[in-house]
This record gives sequence, C-alpha cells and structure tokens, in this order.
Amino acid sequence: MAEIILDKISKRFSNGFYGVKELSLTIADGEFIVLVGPSGCGKTTALRMVAGLETISSGDVLVDGKRVNDVLEKDRDMAMVFQNYALYPHMTVAQNIGFNLKLNGVPRDEMKRRVRQTAEMLGLESLMDRRPKQLSGGQRQRVAMGRAIIRDPRAFLMDEPLSNLDAKLRVQMRSDISELQKRLGTTTLYVTHDQIEAMTMGDRVAVLKAGELQQVGTPHEIYDQPANLFVAGFVGSPPMNLVEGRLVTGDGGAVGVAIGPITIPLSAHQVAQQSLSSRSDGELIVGIRPEDLIQAPSSPPGPDEARHRAVVNRVEAVGASLLVYFALDVTAVHRESLADTGHVADERLVVVANGTTICATFPPRSMVRPGDEVEVSVLGERLHLFDPVTELNLA
Amino acid sequence: MNRLRRWGPAFLMVLPSIILIGVFVYGLIYWNVRTSLQQQPMPRGPSGTTNYSKLWAERRWVRDLKNLGVFTVVFIVGSLVMGAVMALLLDKGVKGEGFFRSIYLFPMAVSFIAAGIVWRWLLNPSSGLNLIFDKLGLDSLKSQWWQSKSPWGMAAMAMPAMWQMSGYIMALYLAGFRGVPEELREAARMDGAKERQVYRHVVFPELRPVTLSALVILGHISIKVFDLVLAVSGKQGKTETPAVYMWDLIFQASNRPKGATVATLLLVGVAVLVIPYLIYTVRSERKS
Amino acid sequence: MTAPMPTETTAAMPAIEPLPPLTDDHQLQRRGPVGHVVKIVLLFVFVIFFLLPVILLLLTSFKSLAEADPSRAWQLPKHWTLDAWREAWSQLHGALGNSFKLVIPATIISTVLGSLNGYVLSRWRFPGADLVFTMFLFGMFIPYQAVMIPLGLLFKDVGVDPGLGRLIIAHIVYGIPMTTLIFRNYYATTIPNELIEAARMDGAGMMHTYASVILPASAPAFVVTAIWQFTSIWNDFLFAVFLVTNPDSWPVTVALNNTAGSQVTPFPVQMAGALIASIPTLVVYILLGRYFMRGLMAGALKG
Ligand SMILES: Nc1ncnc2c1ncn2[C@@H]1O[C@H](COP(=O)(O)OP(=O)(O)O)[C@@H](O)[C@H]1O
Ligand SMILES: [Mg+2]
Repeated sequence: MAEIILDKISKRFSNGFYGVKELSLTIADGEFIVLVGPSGCGKTTALRMVAGLETISSGDVLVDGKRVNDVLEKDRDMAMVFQNYALYPHMTVAQNIGFNLKLNGVPRDEMKRRVRQTAEMLGLESLMDRRPKQLSGGQRQRVAMGRAIIRDPRAFLMDEPLSNLDAKLRVQMRSDISELQKRLGTTTLYVTHDQIEAMTMGDRVAVLKAGELQQVGTPHEIYDQPANLFVAGFVGSPPMNLVEGRLVTGDGGAVGVAIGPITIPLSAHQVAQQSLSSRSDGELIVGIRPEDLIQAPSSPPGPDEARHRAVVNRVEAVGASLLVYFALDVTAVHRESLADTGHVADERLVVVANGTTICATFPPRSMVRPGDEVEVSVLGERLHLFDPVTELNLA
Repeated sequence: MNRLRRWGPAFLMVLPSIILIGVFVYGLIYWNVRTSLQQQPMPRGPSGTTNYSKLWAERRWVRDLKNLGVFTVVFIVGSLVMGAVMALLLDKGVKGEGFFRSIYLFPMAVSFIAAGIVWRWLLNPSSGLNLIFDKLGLDSLKSQWWQSKSPWGMAAMAMPAMWQMSGYIMALYLAGFRGVPEELREAARMDGAKERQVYRHVVFPELRPVTLSALVILGHISIKVFDLVLAVSGKQGKTETPAVYMWDLIFQASNRPKGATVATLLLVGVAVLVIPYLIYTVRSERKS
Repeated sequence: MTAPMPTETTAAMPAIEPLPPLTDDHQLQRRGPVGHVVKIVLLFVFVIFFLLPVILLLLTSFKSLAEADPSRAWQLPKHWTLDAWREAWSQLHGALGNSFKLVIPATIISTVLGSLNGYVLSRWRFPGADLVFTMFLFGMFIPYQAVMIPLGLLFKDVGVDPGLGRLIIAHIVYGIPMTTLIFRNYYATTIPNELIEAARMDGAGMMHTYASVILPASAPAFVVTAIWQFTSIWNDFLFAVFLVTNPDSWPVTVALNNTAGSQVTPFPVQMAGALIASIPTLVVYILLGRYFMRGLMAGALKG
C-alpha cells in the first residue's frame, strides 16, 4: 500500500505534442481514484507514467514520498490491468496469475497456495488449466484482475478494464472491483472514459481534458459543484441543460437569473456571493440538471422557485423516471470546451427551430405524451452559474 | 542513467549483429569502393576514377548492360504477369488449390545451378521446347532462344528465371488478394460492381504495396543474376551480364580493381532501386 | 513463349465451389461452366510449364550417355539405367556432406540471432532502433558481389581457412538481415505491445520477457526462418564459388556445376546430379511447404 503523488507531471511526445500537462494529483493510501475524461485526453498516458511504461518529461511521481521517475517499471511494484487484458496466450490461467510470483522466486508451494486463494476470490477455481483463448471476456477480465491481486502490490493501475465487456457484465464487474478494492485496501488509479463508471466507482474522481486536470473531488462534489463548464457538460446523464442567461438585478444587486422567458429567483445565499454581485454585464451561462427541472407540484410556487408552461416535444421512459423534452426560446451554449463532452453530440439536445431543447425529469408514471402542455418547476439554488468567458463556476 | 538502464541490455543484445553488419556490409563496401579506385596490378597505387571511365568506354560493358536490361524487363514483366494470373486463377478457391500452389512454388526450392542444367536443354534449339512445339505443330513458336542473332535473344534467359520466381510472385499476390477484407469486396458488389470491376477498382488498388515489393525483389535479383546465366549458357559473350563479367575479371583476368569497379556499379544499381523503397516502407510503417 | 494468358478469361472470373481452406464465401454467383473449364485448363497449362523441366531431368537421368541425345530429349529411355545416378552420387556425395556441414550450423546460428534481433527491434526499441533496422535491411538487398572481393581478402588477412569456415561465417552474417526481418515482422504482428508491458509490470526484464513470453510463441517463426535459411544457403553458388577454392570443401552447388566426364559432357550424370542436389530442399519444401510459403510472405509483405 502506498500514497502516490503526481507532482506537475507532463508528457511531451517526440512530435512535440503534450499528452499530459502539469498534472498534479495526490492518491491517498488505500484510495480509489478514477481518472476520467473523453477519449484522447491523456488518461492512458498519465497512467503509464505512473506505471513506469512511459518516461516522464517533467514533474515527479512520488510513491510514499520517494521519487520514482527513474525507477524501472519492474521495480515499482505496481500491478496493471490492461484494456485488452494482455494475458499470456501460451500460459494457463494458473500460470498467468502466478507469473509474477514465479519471477520473484516465490517457492512453489506458496505460489500454488496463493494462486488458489486468488482464484477462489475471483471464482476462477474451475478454470485454472484453461488457456486465455478458452475463456469468455468476463473470465479473462477476472484473470487479469487475479494477476494484479496476487502480487499484493503497492498500487493497482487499471486502464479501462471493463470497456471490452457487455453492458450487463460491466455493471456487475464495477461493483465487484470496487468491493475487492475496499477489501484489499490497495491504492488504485483507475482510468475510464465512462463518467458513470467514474461516478459509481471512485472514492474521488479526477476529470481530465486535453491533458489538463479540470477538477478533483468526490463524485458528489464533481456532480453538484462542477468546477467549470466542461465538467458540468461531461458529468451526468442525461447531460445538464446549458443555456445562455442574464442576471436580473434589483435594489441590493442580483436577485434572479433570466433564461429566455423564465426568470428564476436566486436564494439569499447566492445573492450574497461576491462573484455574482460584482458582475457588471450580467451575461451568464446557466446550467440546470434534468432532475432539477421537475413537474410543478400542485402547491403554489415557493419564494425562489420558477415555473414555466411548455408543450412537450418528446418523451423517453428510462425506467426510474420519464425524460420530458420541450423547446425553450433561448440560445443554446456553444463552447469549444463542450465539444468533447458528448453534450453537443447528444442529439436530444439539438437546437430546434423555436429555441433550445430542454430536458426535464418527471415521475415515471406521469403519463405525459408529446403535444401535452406541462408545467415545470426549478429552484434557484439548484442552478449552476458559469462565467461565459472563463467558463468557471461562479458559486 | 535511466535511459542506459532501460535500453542498455537491449542495445547490447543487438550489438554483435550491428558490429557484424557494420564490418561485413558497410566496411567491406567501403573497402570494395577503395579497391575500385586502385590501379592494376594492385600495388601500383591509386588511379582515381579511371577504372570507371575505362569501363564505360568498353563495348563489352555496354553490351553486358544491354543484356541485363533486356533480361530485367522480360523477367520482371513476365514474372509479374504470370504471378498475377496464377493468383487470380487461384483466388476464389479451386479444388486442389494446395496442389496447384505447391507445383507453382516448388522451383523456389531449387538452386539456379540445378535449374540451369535442365534449362540448358530446354532452350537448346535442336532439343527441349522446340521439339515439343514441333510435335504440336506450333512451328511459329520455335526459336533459337538465347542463341538467336536478335538483341532479344537474352530474353530467353529470362524464362528459367521466371520459372523459378513467378510462383513466388503468385504467392505474394494470392496473400494480397486474400488480405483484402471480404466486406470491401461485398461493399463494391452492393455498389453494383461486376466481378471484374471489383478487382479493377477495389482489389488491385489495395495491392499496390505488394506490387512494389515484388518489383523491388525481382529487380534486385535481376541485377545480380549470375549463376543462372552461367549454368544455362556457360560463359558466352551473347548472354554475359555485369555479374558474370565481374566473375570473369577476377578468376580469369585476375583484375581485382576492375572487378571491384563492376561490383560497385552493381551496388549503385541496387541502391537506386532499394533505398527509396526502404525509406518508403519504414515511413509508411511508422505512420500506421 | 510463356503460357497463354488471354485477358478476358482473367476478368470473367467464375466462382467455383468455395473450399474449406478459404473463409466461408457465401456469395450468390452465377457459375459460368465455360469460364470454369477455361480456368482449370489454364491452371494445368501452368502445371505443365512448371513440371516440364522435372520430367526432362528424370527422363535423362535414367538414360545412358549414348542415349542421351538432346534431339531425342523427350523419348523414354530404351534401356533404363542407374549408371548416371551412381556416377552422380560418387561425384557429389562428398559435396553433399559439405553442404550439410555448412547449412546446419549457419542456419541455426543465423536463426537464433534473428530471433533476438527481431525481438529487440520490434518490442524493445531503444532510441535509434529504426535506423539500425534500416541498415540491416539494406544489407539484405546488397548484391553480394559488392563485398566479395574484400571479403576474400579479409578472410585471408585474418587467417580463416579457405574452406567451409568462411562460408559458414558469410552465411551467418549475410543471413542476419533476413532472419531479423522475419522475426521482427512476426513479433510486431503477433505479440501485442500490451503483452510485453504486462510482463514488464509483472517484474520481468528483457531476457525474462524473451524467455517466458516471446520464445514460447516463436515456434512458427523459427520454422519459417530456418526453412528460408536452409534453402537459400543450400542453393547458394556465389559465395561458395568465390570463397571456397579447395575442391574438397565445395558445397554441392559448386560441385554440381563442375560435374565432369572423360570427354563429352555427361548429360545424364549432370541431370541426376541436379536432382540429387535438389532433394534436401525439395523434401523440406514438400514436408513444410506451408511454412515455406509464409516465409516468402514475410520477406516481402509489411517489410
Ligand atoms: N507516442 C505518441 N506520440 C504522439 N502522440 C501520442 C502518442 N501516444 C499518444 N499520443 C496522443 O496523446 C493523446 C493522449 O493519448 P492517451 O493517453 O492514449 O489518451 P486516452 O485518454 O484516450 O487514454 C492522444 O491525443 C494521442 O493521440
Ligand atoms: Mg486510453
């Protein structure tokens, strides 16, 4: 077990391209950190630098306070799980799992015992003499895990280990891996492009974009207080509604936010914020998570609640809730930083003739159909407000 | 320091080969070029490029080059066409494909010397192929082969070479054809291409790298052709190639500097062909 | 003069029953029976072209010297005799032995070197590895004439016996580029980088990775390379004729080129000799033809 510190590590490839830029991250002993970001943002590169498979152009990697930049991968005592598992094709399951012990000269008996113990932990006992070719995807994945676990290494490094599994198995393995990691208490750096995986598995999540760290925090923090527009757009499914808005000022300063035809009152707490009241031009980017935009209750609106009547364009039943889409006469947010998030690509959020498509969440049995008129409700304190220039969260 | 520890063992592992290749290939090439700049007999000292200018003034050398040119063109075109046709015939699968492939390819396993011994008879105007053509009433196909007066006599020499190498080209093309993904062909068929158009527009364009490799391989075999000629015709002015000339210079005339001159020119010929190919190959590999 | 190859038949490729070795080919296609026949005929025309020399060799090798007249080349021997074979054997058996003594060590050593080089140059690429590989590759293509004169002098200077030793060294050295190429391509296409990295993460160094991950997967490449080296060294004439001046050390190609008779050219002996000299490579080829073919591919594709 170990504490791993990435201190401003950068990777400059031979063609001059920076795969990772000044990434700093502290992974506490026993912590499970997920590095997440769109494809090509440098996650694998960062992981490989920690592993020792990629040289570090600048910055330091520290393990338990010791700089390991110049330590060869085989001496770093970290185990890696590869995306394609990288099982040795000519070795049996048992041999694959025990390879590291064999290299380290662990006595046969102990090796056998530990291989068996590991296999039991992963439910592989009956497959010990098979070759990787004779295994299913999920079984291979387990063998790859076994190869890492048996070593009791200082850290697990995992590069999209679930991306080759089918959806159902992936969900299953997600919790299996989390549970195993908790049980073993091994420091883990886990890479994925799947934000749901990141949010469900990590003790903390680090969001990366174009080689640069955007935010680190617990899944809660990332979700509820996205540091910037990119994180807001990247995390959450269905993604956050993002539209251009304007501050509405009253006597004492800002009192509300206008998006198209709706004005949403702000809470006293929000109004008190220096960053908001000091804004002169009043332009903002406003984000509303679909689950914060709900069917208006029959009770009268509260003090910082806004309501809006709209005609439903489309309805999607996703089981636990009903996603209701309607058009709002407001400008959608177009920022380059959103290009990679899947937000723009999400065809549910395309700009329509009469404004922008907005997504709201209704109770699963609310019987809403396209063409119906509905009333939606949102609370001011649930708004995410971003500076349109710096794209930083104004909260 | 870290670099040394990481790459040191790897480098040490290939170091013996690097030294061997360095000495035996590049060192000896240098030595050979230096020899070609000497006077004959050897101790007489440097002569600059006189060996080269003298050689180019020789009618024998020019004739050898012409012979080589004729041989090369016929050999390369013939092998490519034959190889491609055989591959096309086999591409879609035939009963006994393995049998045909083996027959077409087996001459590769035979030495030029052994092949030359039998081709000497096959290309004998009063024997071999002519006898068969006679029997079949194909008198128009009868030929004096390499003994003919025409400058294309040398083309006959290419026949044994094609016999040996066209199976190889067939194998290359066949692998190339089979390497074109079936979806690509299907897509073309869905687009309305007839089978011949599938080949013309989809399969052949995919095979340009294979053709390039084949060209380079055949070309460099051709430039050094030596034992085949010796075995088929013996030492004959009519069929002499630069490589045979060089052998003659060394063993009959004991003229090392001049032999080295011919050798250097052979190398230049190959280099002109091969270096761009190597650069192209290594580059396109790096791209992928 | 070469086999006829009208273009319209190549274009009108008929579909024939797809056979097992091909991947399943479910296309619906019209089967032109005429096209099919033309195709089979063409295939056999090529077969005849490739077998004619063999037939001639066999026929002549069983004839007596008197009967072996070029103008009656295709007639069956009136009196079948093994004299030519006996004579060829007595002239060549020593050289055959030499060839084996030469081919076996040269093949083994150059193949092993090729495997190590190929491993390093594909999967443990130190800075400059590409340059090294390109330099090796060029060594594969040089006309050996360009090194032959100084090579002889070098051997003389260093004091290597003008016998098989010289040939063995030459074939090892000049075989390195080809063997390296085959192994490098093999490793680059069949061993994923991730596998090497997994072994490195498991704590294996370069040699351990080679022994435990690479070597067990190398058998096909070893076979391909060994066959390739075996045939090309066996069939070499150029090095042998330049480097081996002592007739007792001649390998079989040189000896074959010098088969002698008392007065006239002993055609049957030569032809029997050509067959004898080709038997080892042909046996290898017939037994391991599949691999031979793969070796050929490796020489050209994805260079
Ligand atoms: N050897 C290399 N040379 C140049 N660019 C590279 C190299 N390896 C990766 N990259 C680039 O670096 C970026 C980050 O790659 P990677 O870490 O693999 O991303 P991912 O987040 O998808 O794992 C990508 O844009 C990729 O194209
Ligand atoms: Mg990746």
